[in-house]
Amino acid sequence: MTDHTDTPTAPLARDDVTADSPFTLPGFFTALADGDLLAAVCEDCGKRLIPPRPACYACGGRNLHVESQPKTGTVVSYTEVRTPPPALADRAPYTVAIVELDSGARLTGRVTVPYAEASIEMPVRLVARAPDDDEREMALSYEADWPIHEFEPV
Amino acid sequence: MTDTQPYVAAVGTFAFGRTDLTGRDLFSAAVAEAFADGPDPSAVVDALYVGNQSESYEHQIMHGTLLAEWCGLRHVPAERVEGCAAAGALALRHAVEDVRSGRRDAVLACGVEKMTAGGTAGATNALSAAFDRALEQRSGVTAPSQYALLAQRYLHDTEATERDLARIAVKNHANAAANPRAQFQRETDVETVLDSDYVAPPLKLFDCAPVTDGAAAVLVASEEVAAQFGTDGPSVRVGGVGAGANNIGVADRDLTFVEGAHEAATTAYEEAGVEPSDVDVAEVHDAFTSCEAMLAEAAGFAPRGRGYESALPPAERSDGWTDTHLSTSGGLKARGHPIGATGLAQAVEVYEQLTGTATPARQVENATTGLLINEGGVADAVTVAHVLTT
Repeated sequence: MTDHTDTPTAPLARDDVTADSPFTLPGFFTALADGDLLAAVCEDCGKRLIPPRPACYACGGRNLHVESQPKTGTVVSYTEVRTPPPALADRAPYTVAIVELDSGARLTGRVTVPYAEASIEMPVRLVARAPDDDEREMALSYEADWPIHEFEPV
Repeated sequence: MTDTQPYVAAVGTFAFGRTDLTGRDLFSAAVAEAFADGPDPSAVVDALYVGNQSESYEHQIMHGTLLAEWCGLRHVPAERVEGCAAAGALALRHAVEDVRSGRRDAVLACGVEKMTAGGTAGATNALSAAFDRALEQRSGVTAPSQYALLAQRYLHDTEATERDLARIAVKNHANAAANPRAQFQRETDVETVLDSDYVAPPLKLFDCAPVTDGAAAVLVASEEVAAQFGTDGPSVRVGGVGAGANNIGVADRDLTFVEGAHEAATTAYEEAGVEPSDVDVAEVHDAFTSCEAMLAEAAGFAPRGRGYESALPPAERSDGWTDTHLSTSGGLKARGHPIGATGLAQAVEVYEQLTGTATPARQVENATTGLLINEGGVADAVTVAHVLTT
């Protein structure tokens, strides 16, 4: 994991909100494309938030720092998308899941195995890759190069 | 607590189903019903709030301005309220707050959605805008799959089964069969529900509310203005309102308890001075059958983890259940779910129950207190609850 101890804490000044900051989506996805999954950690209550944002919803605190997350975790819940958004029609059916990382942070993503092979508690690993053509088709202009994250069984 | 008691002066709904009419036409019909026994809108309405989910169906925003004009109003405050499927009860909340404060005497809350305009693909796309763009939308989740993530965990953590969820659909279809306002005025059975195709397991087609065109209108007014409608005098008032938000992303929430809905209902109860056991009828937001189970718990009608018993006869339910009748209209599942109009359609059902004007087959005898819970986004991303009392 990258050491982010020298990374600025959550932006409290207007000029700190930049596309380079991991507390903005461009900064978050740039890091993810480089293989680094980032969360904001609340120094007041310990909550981990993906993607990073300038305030903690759990306690209201604004004293957060960025932290690289482990890519491994387990499936908390899952299902199968059978009627997808039109742009992803050729990809369906596909499996989606909520995953709790080993750090306790949670996020939703697609799973690379069929629904019948997934289960609650299944160990998975997050991978990030460049978007495919259909995913680029549904992307907004500024999202075109943002990576797609998925979970694969460990 | 309140300066002016807000009364429900008049209600109307129209065309829950598929229709060639446009959103503004549906609104016109709902308004025609609501104002049939009273003065014209221009004579009493001081402001207009419109619940509307998405501009993508009709490529139309500015619904406040448009619909004010379509009912003969101009130069009144009029605006669209957005909160996905909670937009209707949010519009109602604004109307209630305006009248309570004494700022306005009569405010029209209405909801309109022309969902069939873009087919299933159009509705799937439009609804997906309610999810967090960064991680959820880009992962290709859909409304059924988001709710299925909750339902899957609920079935995992409780004793509920897919058959229990199917019973909820059957119960709500039976209620809708007695509701002339409903989209599906026909019964179904458990095997039909269980045999329907999975949309997003464990949810099947018959666990899902349909795509619906529809409109609903509720006039909230002071007692003095409300007395101008009908012949029996105003009898139903909004005793309490609660509203709140939860995380936009489902992953960060408690997956088996809709905390935001619990907060909204609790606040509405406190304002109205009632307990869950006082509630005779409740319209809960069963966009999917699993929602009714979870909302029964959040609203305090069922013990934690037992909301899935909502379709069982009261004697067969666990201890701790109230006697509340849930979704006598048929719910979103069978009355229909025109997104921005749903919260107001819920209010219309509670109003009919409390005024004794529901059709005999679904009328709850001596109903005096009713609740509606309207959710938006996925589950309790935003929730609004209203307590209506006689």
